Amino acid sequence: MQYMLLVYEPEDLDQGPEGQASLMDVAARHMALAKAMSEAGAMQAGAGLQPVATATTVRTSASGQTLHDGPFAETREHLGGFYLIEAPDLDAAIKWARQVPIRPGGSCEVRPVATY
Amino acid sequence: MVAALAVRLRDLDLAEEAFAEASAAAVPAWRAQWPRDPAAWLWRAAWRRALDAKRRAAVRRRLTPDDPQPASTPEDEVIAASDPIPDERLRLIFVCCHPAIAADARAALTLKVVCGLSTERLARAFLMAEPAMLQRITRAKRKIRDAGVPFEVPGREMWPDRLEAVLATLEIAYAQAYEDAALASDGAGFAQEVLRLSGLLAELIPREGEVLGLAALVRFAEARRPARLDPAGAMVPPAEQDMGLWRGGLIGEGARLLDAAADLGATGPRQLLAGIHGLHLSRRDTGVTPWAAIVGLYDALALFRPDAVTGVNRAVAVGEASGAAAGLASLDAVPGAGRLTNWLPYQAARAGLCERAGLREDAAAAYHAALALGPAPAERLYLERRLGALT
Repeated sequence: MQYMLLVYEPEDLDQGPEGQASLMDVAARHMALAKAMSEAGAMQAGAGLQPVATATTVRTSASGQTLHDGPFAETREHLGGFYLIEAPDLDAAIKWARQVPIRPGGSCEVRPVATY
Repeated sequence: MVAALAVRLRDLDLAEEAFAEASAAAVPAWRAQWPRDPAAWLWRAAWRRALDAKRRAAVRRRLTPDDPQPASTPEDEVIAASDPIPDERLRLIFVCCHPAIAADARAALTLKVVCGLSTERLARAFLMAEPAMLQRITRAKRKIRDAGVPFEVPGREMWPDRLEAVLATLEIAYAQAYEDAALASDGAGFAQEVLRLSGLLAELIPREGEVLGLAALVRFAEARRPARLDPAGAMVPPAEQDMGLWRGGLIGEGARLLDAAADLGATGPRQLLAGIHGLHLSRRDTGVTPWAAIVGLYDALALFRPDAVTGVNRAVAVGEASGAAAGLASLDAVPGAGRLTNWLPYQAARAGLCERAGLREDAAAAYHAALALGPAPAERLYLERRLGALT
């Protein structure tokens, strides 16, 4: 099965010199994880996203479409990146999710990809 | 058989449907000719129906080529040859108690899928409307199928999480059965299922102290069941129960399990609870309830479960071991005691301790408070009787 690992983190974690240092550290650990996933044949795709300030949202309502500056939902935690992996079952996917480097306050959502 | 089907199909609904269809087909078929091995007949019929259903579903979804026929494994051949129903209940218990399933759905799902209890009966036991219970179970089954919850017994390295979830689920299921029993004979059958499951778990995982502890706990508690109500239907506390009604066979089984658990040398809350039940039962041999030892086990239990349930039960034991004044003092020392006034076990404990301490007005007030909190019929009778004896 394919699973998406969706990484959510509060963005203020990156602010200040300490935040920048921890960001560098986390980025290095993401690289290491992506390498491990590739070697295990689990990696399908993955990427980190630019800060949420760069987001633009296309909203559709009954009267048509409008553009908005910013993310779809105003929450403290933002989608910061994702992995698309191949795993035999949920336990295997959770095993990878536990290895995703996430700083305190963040989370990693495991979602099976729908098959049609 | 449903368990065996479910593990192979990785779909709980499909397994239940296939089994139901096969059972329905069996009635006319067996009337014509009784099969040599009815179980094997049912297994083959259900399996065929499940595969048909899967194929139809695949066509409906216009999937790429049909699922290939699953290759025949040595296991399948053994099944076809002799025993058609491999015991897959353990795997299924782990599936139903997966941490990815909402905690409040696990106990109901386990009893439904592994023990085959009806949704209607589960709804009654968990005090829910039937549609809500059905929805909870359906949602859990769908999650298991769509999220790819593995139909495997997890490796030992995952047991700290997984086994604990299984034991907690069975404990919840048994608590339902135990309470239910005080009011209706219906609960006894419900408890029978937990008795069976906990025994099965102890057989299959005999090297884990808490697994054995839970099996012992359920056996000790069930041993006292025939003595829990008096002829009028009122609750009888353990220390006043007629020991002649206790079931010796279950006591022996529980004691053996608890001994085996002790040999493993890793104590835990379920072993301690079983130990407390065991001490109550030891009155059969000694003629007295060893209250001081019971307090000691509650002290140990509080290390694992420093909650109000442990605290209130411990206070009652202290009242018996060291006098009502000491009992009341330890009841006041229960963490968060100020917030417990709307909690039935707290008021019932307070009432009993005040009564023993000769504080008749306080006792009456606590009995009234307990009665106002909606006790089950058996406990209501008991509390009313105590209140009546006060005045």
